[in-house]
Parts: sequence; structure tokens; C-alpha cells
Amino acid sequence: MVTLEKIAHLANDCKFDSLGPASQVDREKLSLLGGGTRHDVCASTYSPRSPDMPGICHSFTQDGRCVSLFKTLYTNYCSHQCNYCTNAANCSQKTRAFTYTPLELAGITLSLYRRNYIEGLFLSSGSGRNEDVVMEKIVETARLLREKHAFAGYIHLKVLPGASRSHIQEAMELADRISINLEASSPAHMNEMSATKNYETDIIQRQRYIRDLMSKTDHKAGLPAGQTTQLVVGAGAESDVEIFKRILYEYSEIGVKRAYYSAFSPQKGTPFESRAPQQKWREHRLYQMDWLYRIYHFQPHEIHHAFDENGFLGNADPKTAIARQLMDSPADPNVASYGELLRIPGIGPRSAQRIIALRRAHPIKGKTELAQMGVRIKRAAPFLKINGWRDCTLQMWSA
Amino acid sequence: MKVPENFLYYLSAHADCNTRLLARAGEFTAQELEVLPNADAKRLRKMVFEVLGETHRMKAFVRLKPQGGAILHGYLKPRHKIAERVCDHFARRNPRTIIVLGNGLESWTALFCRGRIMREHGAGLTETLEQLGSALHDVGSHGSNEGEREGNEEAKKKCGEEIGKTSEEEIRKEGWEKGIDAESIWKAYYDSQYCPERKNLRVFRQRMPRRDQESAGLRLLESKENATLEDFF
Repeated sequence: MVTLEKIAHLANDCKFDSLGPASQVDREKLSLLGGGTRHDVCASTYSPRSPDMPGICHSFTQDGRCVSLFKTLYTNYCSHQCNYCTNAANCSQKTRAFTYTPLELAGITLSLYRRNYIEGLFLSSGSGRNEDVVMEKIVETARLLREKHAFAGYIHLKVLPGASRSHIQEAMELADRISINLEASSPAHMNEMSATKNYETDIIQRQRYIRDLMSKTDHKAGLPAGQTTQLVVGAGAESDVEIFKRILYEYSEIGVKRAYYSAFSPQKGTPFESRAPQQKWREHRLYQMDWLYRIYHFQPHEIHHAFDENGFLGNADPKTAIARQLMDSPADPNVASYGELLRIPGIGPRSAQRIIALRRAHPIKGKTELAQMGVRIKRAAPFLKINGWRDCTLQMWSA
Repeated sequence: MKVPENFLYYLSAHADCNTRLLARAGEFTAQELEVLPNADAKRLRKMVFEVLGETHRMKAFVRLKPQGGAILHGYLKPRHKIAERVCDHFARRNPRTIIVLGNGLESWTALFCRGRIMREHGAGLTETLEQLGSALHDVGSHGSNEGEREGNEEAKKKCGEEIGKTSEEEIRKEGWEKGIDAESIWKAYYDSQYCPERKNLRVFRQRMPRRDQESAGLRLLESKENATLEDFF
């Protein structure tokens, strides 16, 4: 029989100092360095370690985004001249420069982690005067957490453009995931956005380092959640099809786990201050396109049908746009293959599986049955033919 | 969300579950429950997802506060019978620290030590914390008595040499946490992450349902004007 007394006895020696209200952490620093990562996206924090660390959601801000990680900059001092960034050297309204120490950052992370405010650390940074010095501090922070304090939470480290191969390797040994931001889809667009970053050597070459190092080591042992990347959408004049081509390269040649898109929003004091903010729907449509490729396994030539003649996605479901172009005749859910079902708007992987499971038992007789399986009938109906009957609407023919 | 293989375990934790329902659910496999469109399967699937969802949100929303040296406690008042599982989760995450979750009526205590987990389900949270406080005090003050020392030694043996050599202990030695006020750090950080240009209260409410915030003792007020008397007690 376990009693409270027994539990108290067993835990007697496991003491740590109680936490007083006094504070030695600079709130302004915390707020500025935290705010410096507001536009960095890290939605999925799943890490296929052993034991698995499931996807995490803790708190959500009023923009609906999850705050499961302590997402911060190591320093907001940066020597790069990126035209969209408030920490860039060419920003006219720069805030005070702050820098953490590895010890300080590890202490804050552990403190928040133990009280269940966060599930881990997302550490990015400005480049400081020398990116290798900052990268060394980032690695030192992760090492303190992992090796000295047996920190079992999630760690996502940003690789700074131009970081050395040895620092990248060290970061990979400690983190669950690392990433380097592409920001732009091509060298020409990068030149438009930043005068100091070399797209090929500072970014793509570093991604190749990560890919090569991953292929050399046991994937489970190092970097279980792989590498990712992020693009700023709409800061330059790039089209969606250019972004798509770059992302295809990233998935097939670099092996990124996934790409994130962040709609451009002009910041005060930056050279791009007067540019119009990017509509949020563009970001959403790019994610939909990304899902069609990664999850629905659409072929690139199929996805190309979603772009208009200027290479942009419209503010409409790209899957429906593709179906309008490619589906010559409606599909019968009683005979369509899994791949064919997935190409019908309103049918996702799970509802496709349900359709296949149900039709083994008996033929599907109508839309009601499909609706019960999670099919979004309004979208799917124009592309379906059930037992010879077809729901033909004007909607299907509208552009 | 997928129906897990051990879905019966989750179903049995549902507040509305009964033996007839469990017997009916036993006729399905997890995969059948996942795909079958009939009313029974849909209802059972919904119930399993409700328990999974609440477990997930309680693991996420419950905040732990330290009491004395060895206890972390938090408020928890779930709708379904998931408290023990949530308590276990925090105990495993904080080895060799007593985790107490509960509310005014009942509490769940767990301690994870050397691969084993010890649990206790008892009276209200305050009462349990008082009992644990006095038990820890007794251990500390009467530890020199021969009999008690024996018990203490035995306990130490059971937990092995790990006791007192936790990462938390190292932090204490380093004095890192001295002066760190986690709640105000969190508040400053949480506010820094907000992008006004992306404000979307519909998604916020969907992701952080008020009902689940209340179950975990959270009160994230959208605005003080909407606050009720309850928010201040």
C-alpha cells in the first residue's frame, strides 16, 4: 500500500530551492529576444525518438498559434542586411541589443519546462559579429541542457547562414531538429531581400552539409526530427510556381522534412517598410499545395494545373482547381482506387480509407453514407458518380 | 487523431461509459472503429476521442507549482477519469519529484523513482499538500531517530543512489533557479509571441476551449471587460 508518508520518505532527498518572486531575468531582454522569433514557424514538434515524443500543443496565442516551445533568439545583434528584418544592420529603428549567456538560457528553459509551460527550446539568433561565435554559444546552450542536465525535452536549433560544418555537426548531435531558413526561392530573389547573404554558399551549401551528415550517421541516433526550412512569402516578387519549384528541390534533393511559409509583413524602420503586407491566404494556399505533394502524393505535373498563367495560386482550394482541369469524368466511389479517391476534392486520406473499408462490406448507395464517413459532400459531389447517378451543378463549370 | 489499439482503456475512462457499452466496444477492432460509418462505431469513436482530447489538453494546460523542496502541484478537475494518467505523465517527466494534481474534492499523487511509479488517490488538493508537507517535515526532523533512520535508509536503498542526484539538484547547487520567477517569465514571453496582424480569436477559442482551461485551472482572459466574478476567485 502506497501512502503519502511513504512517498514523502522516498522523495525526501529530492529537493530543489523554492522559487521566490525575485527576478534576475531582464524582462525587456526576454520580451525582445522572444519577439524576435514571432515570425519563425515551428508548428509540428513531433520527434520520432525512442520513446516517441508526440506532437505538442501547450498554449495558443490569440492568433491561434501554438506556443509549446520557448522560442527565442540568442542575440538580436546581427551584421546581415536583410531588408525585411528589424534586427538587420540596415534597420533604422533598431532596438537595444541583447544577448543571453548559455547558462542563463538553460536555466530559463529548465525552469519553464519543469512547470510545464513549455515542451522544449527553439533557439534562433542574429548572426552577431561572427556567426561561428554565436553558433558555438547556441551549441553550448544545447549541450548544457542535454549533457549536464539530462534535459529530455524537444530542442530545435536554427543554423546560422555561413555556419561551419563542425558546428552544424555538433548541433545535429544535440537537437531533435535543425533548420536553416531559405527566406527566398532563388539567388536573384535573395539579392533583392538581402545584400549580405549568399544564397548558394551561405544557405544551400549548409543544407547539403546537414543532408550529408544525416546520411552518414544513424538517423535515429542523431536529429530524429530531421531538417526543415522556411520562406518569407511576398517580400520579393517571386511567384508561387517559383516557390513550388524550389520546394520540390528541397524535398527531393535536400531531404527536408517539411517547409514552412511565413507571409511577409512590413516592419517599421526596415527598407521594406513601405511594401504592402502579404495576404494571409497566400500562405494558406501554399501550405495546401505542400500537403497535396507530401501527404496526398500528387505528382508535380498535376500540381502545376493549380497555378494561373502568371504562376500564382488563386484564393481557392488548389485541389478543386486541379480536379476541374484533370478529372475528365466523375469517379465512382464503389470502384475508384485509393489514389483516385484522394484526387476528389472533399475526400482526404482518412475518408478514402473509410470508403474502401465500407465498400468491402456493401456498395455505397448515396451521399449520406459518404457524409457519415467524413466526406465534404458540397465539394465532392460534382466529381462523384454513385451507382450511375451524378450530381451535376453549375459550380463545377464556374472558373 | 487515430483510434489507438488500446481504445478500450480510453473508453473505460469516459464519464458516460458503462459495462454494456464496453461489451459492445469489445466487438470492434481499433481499425474497424476508425473506419466504420455506423451509429454505434461513430458514437464509440467520439467517446474515445473525447477522452484522448481531454488527456492531451490536460497534459498541455496544467501548470505545476513548487511547494517546498520536493513537490510540484497543480490544479486538475477533469470531466473524464484521466487524472491518474495525467499525473503519471508528469511524474515520469519529473523523476524523483512528488507530483500532486487535484481540486477541492480529490487529488492524485505520483512519484516516479527508479523505473517504478507510486500512486495515491486521496482527499482534496490542499489537504493532501498539508499531509505531504507534514510527512516531509517528519522525515526531515525525526530522521535521526533510529527506527526512522532505518526506514529512511531502506527507502534510499530502494530508490538507489539516484535520489538527490537529479538535474534539479545540480541546478540548486549552481543556484541557477534562484530568483527565476517562472510565471512572470512565461507571461513576458507569451506576450512577446503575439502577432496582432494575425489575430484570430475563433481559432484561439477552438484550440483553448474555456471548459478545458477551467479544468486545468487556467484563466486566460481575453479581456477584463468580459471577466466574471468566477475569474477572480
